[in-house]
Amino acid sequence: MKKLDLKVKDYPELAISWETTLINKTGTWRTFYPKYFPKTPPCNYYCPANENIQKYIALSLKGEFEEAYFTILEKNPFPSITGRVCYHPCEIGCNRGNFDESIAIHAIERFLGDYGINFVESKRKIEKLTFDKKVAIIGSGPAGLSCAYYLLLKGVGVTIFEKESYPGGILFYGIPAYRLPKEIVKREVEKLTKRGAEFIFNKELGKDFSLDDLTKKYDAVFLAIGAQIEQELGVLNEDANGVLMGLDFLKAINLKRKIKYFGKNVLVIGGGNTAIDCARVALRKGAKVKILYRRTKEEMPAIREEVEEALKEGIEILFLTAPSKIIKDKKERVKGLECVKMKLSEEVDESGRRKPIPIKNSNFVIKCDTIIKAIGEKVDLAILPKEIIGKRTVLADEYGKTNIDKIFAGGDCVTGPKTVVEAIAYGRRAAYFILNYLKNFEIPKKESVSLVNYENLNTYYFEKQKRIEEDRLPVNKRKRNFKEIVATLTDQDVKYEAGRCFSCGVCNNCDNCYVFCPDLAVLKKNGEYEILYDYCKGCGVCAHECPRNVISMFFEEEK
Amino acid sequence: MKWQYANNTEEYMNPGHLACPGCGGAYAMRLALKALGKNTIVVIPACCWSIIDGPFPLHCIKVPLYHTAFETAAVVASGIRAALEVKGKRDIEVLAFAGDGGTLDIGIQALSAVCERNDKIIYACYDNEAYMNTGIQRSSATPYGAWTTTTPREDFKKERKKNITEIIAAHRIPYVATASIGFPDDLIVKFKKAKEAKGTAFIHIFAPCPTGWRMAPELMITIAQLAVDCKIFPLYEVFDGVKYVINYQPKNIPVQEYLKLQGRFSHLTEEEIEIIQKEVDFNWELLVKKAKG
Repeated sequence: MKKLDLKVKDYPELAISWETTLINKTGTWRTFYPKYFPKTPPCNYYCPANENIQKYIALSLKGEFEEAYFTILEKNPFPSITGRVCYHPCEIGCNRGNFDESIAIHAIERFLGDYGINFVESKRKIEKLTFDKKVAIIGSGPAGLSCAYYLLLKGVGVTIFEKESYPGGILFYGIPAYRLPKEIVKREVEKLTKRGAEFIFNKELGKDFSLDDLTKKYDAVFLAIGAQIEQELGVLNEDANGVLMGLDFLKAINLKRKIKYFGKNVLVIGGGNTAIDCARVALRKGAKVKILYRRTKEEMPAIREEVEEALKEGIEILFLTAPSKIIKDKKERVKGLECVKMKLSEEVDESGRRKPIPIKNSNFVIKCDTIIKAIGEKVDLAILPKEIIGKRTVLADEYGKTNIDKIFAGGDCVTGPKTVVEAIAYGRRAAYFILNYLKNFEIPKKESVSLVNYENLNTYYFEKQKRIEEDRLPVNKRKRNFKEIVATLTDQDVKYEAGRCFSCGVCNNCDNCYVFCPDLAVLKKNGEYEILYDYCKGCGVCAHECPRNVISMFFEEEK
Repeated sequence: MKWQYANNTEEYMNPGHLACPGCGGAYAMRLALKALGKNTIVVIPACCWSIIDGPFPLHCIKVPLYHTAFETAAVVASGIRAALEVKGKRDIEVLAFAGDGGTLDIGIQALSAVCERNDKIIYACYDNEAYMNTGIQRSSATPYGAWTTTTPREDFKKERKKNITEIIAAHRIPYVATASIGFPDDLIVKFKKAKEAKGTAFIHIFAPCPTGWRMAPELMITIAQLAVDCKIFPLYEVFDGVKYVINYQPKNIPVQEYLKLQGRFSHLTEEEIEIIQKEVDFNWELLVKKAKG
């Protein structure tokens, strides 16, 4: 207590308290204590590539697009590609979806990717590294390119073998230009060539070289050959002229090759992205197009937006319809398809969906001159050694390790046909593992996850705001051309959309904990907060009023 | 939501005060002092704040605080104002800060007299709807349906809450306002306006009491926000006793949502909740009419 040099006569006639309550450590009253405990936002959690989405959205909000771009590159080297073609599970997980509409994360990613290749890459410093180790990568699809990128960054040389004459694999010849312009693929691939990646085109595994050749010449081999063989329908006359393979058809269009037996009435069979792509490409080539799918719209594996766009463009989808026989004329040319109506049974198949079964005597014929098969792709296992293959795919663990030393594998050839972003993620993980194998590089540890659910948020502090919609090419301007349909957002739009982000589980300095503490036990200093445990009574107001669930309450004994 | 005033780091209160965890009254003082600044003298009658400020020789706020008798907060404040006038000190605010008991029941005579004289003080009532400090006895601010230790569940309070805001507004003092601790910026703005008022200003603050309301302390702010959004405690101002301005459009949430979080209402039947809802809707319509003029 302060010593006061006062005489009795100096004291006033009433009692005066001279001391503050600071000596009163009310923290001892507490049973629970609050703690800043950042958590995992669902967008990051659901991103197959584990991008730090929350972080790059927060940076975008501040206009720090360059930093935001580099944040994506840590996990995904090609945001311009994934921003366009990813099925964005991040947006399905987005907590804002329960409030009004999820954040248009793909649009922000795309903007940042384009910002990167337009404004950042040209001035980005490239470290001069001497490649003492070299890795051969077979296949220049998303898995191969992603693996190459992360190897190059750490000073490992790569040689990428591609059987076609362009890099990109499925990105180049599979995905149509109206979804992913070739220019974008080229610019993304430049990131590798600038860093010293060597491409060898028109060389195919099994024909021009073998795995043994590569293991002798290189320190490691990464197999990323994808899943490229179209599955058979298993119906009569599948060999008729005019029956095309989905991926082959797309490849021919993308490489501007002439297609034999491509007619005016096209039937596409399948419900995945390849099927939708084939249908929309055929439409742009002037054909009348119908899609046959044996289940209903709900079970379609294709990206929902793509299905909607296809319907808007005038493509008819016949649901619960399966092919039963191809009808051909005397010249072996397709002239129709006999179909059968299906119904969903109660039985669930291995994909977790209800199994469709044919309805008896429901057969009917659709006239057509071209049939495109797109019911799913499989891996070409014939060209691979027996030790590393399983029943349908290459056997490898999640880091791409196979049964043969020096050989690693990843992407669709291991997982079966999946998505671009999953292949990119696999490529990155495999790169880390190869780096570990070659250079004892430490594989980044998996972060522990404590997911923020919608119920954990305090949404009182948020206002309803409309989700940004990207400009789209009107349907009537899409005919007979492959112009990109969706436009990139402007920086203003990106900032608006970034402003909608809840920032689940990550503090964004909203000050609520500081503002609402009734005990003045939260200190705010230079944009950081500190809890004064000497005084905090553990009421829990800060944790409850934190809109984004950053603060958690813990039982005092656990401390 | 972006804060305008509430996140200002100037504080005129120390931690270590003796309020219960999650005290709305303690928090109301923190905000009021943020608005008024260091040139303020606070007068406190018997109420929770008599305890919160600390036992002798401790004192929690960083401005002078004068403890006084239960019924005299307003008149002591008015006396301090007179003394300041005599000394020629005009840049000092005098804030009487009283609970609902010291305002609506015991202190109303002195308050009414001050309002009638239009003395230049700010009178803030932090309303926690019962005599919390002495053990949760009913006051005239206790709403219909509430349990207190003197209105037990089987005989809960049947009378409606006294409308102190209207009573004071009827004195036609320059500034009367309601405020809720769930809306800190709004509360601070109102104290700033009270400071500028030419005469008596009265602010009725909704300040939840987790202890007396039988609820979780972390809900302190949420419950204060809900009271506003359920229209139980609308945020409005009355200028010169006649001009009504509604400051916040409630989100129109049923009163049920507010009542169900508090143990003091847990005995209410659906019919009784319906009675409360009707009363709240009626009061709101009346207020809207007044605001339309």
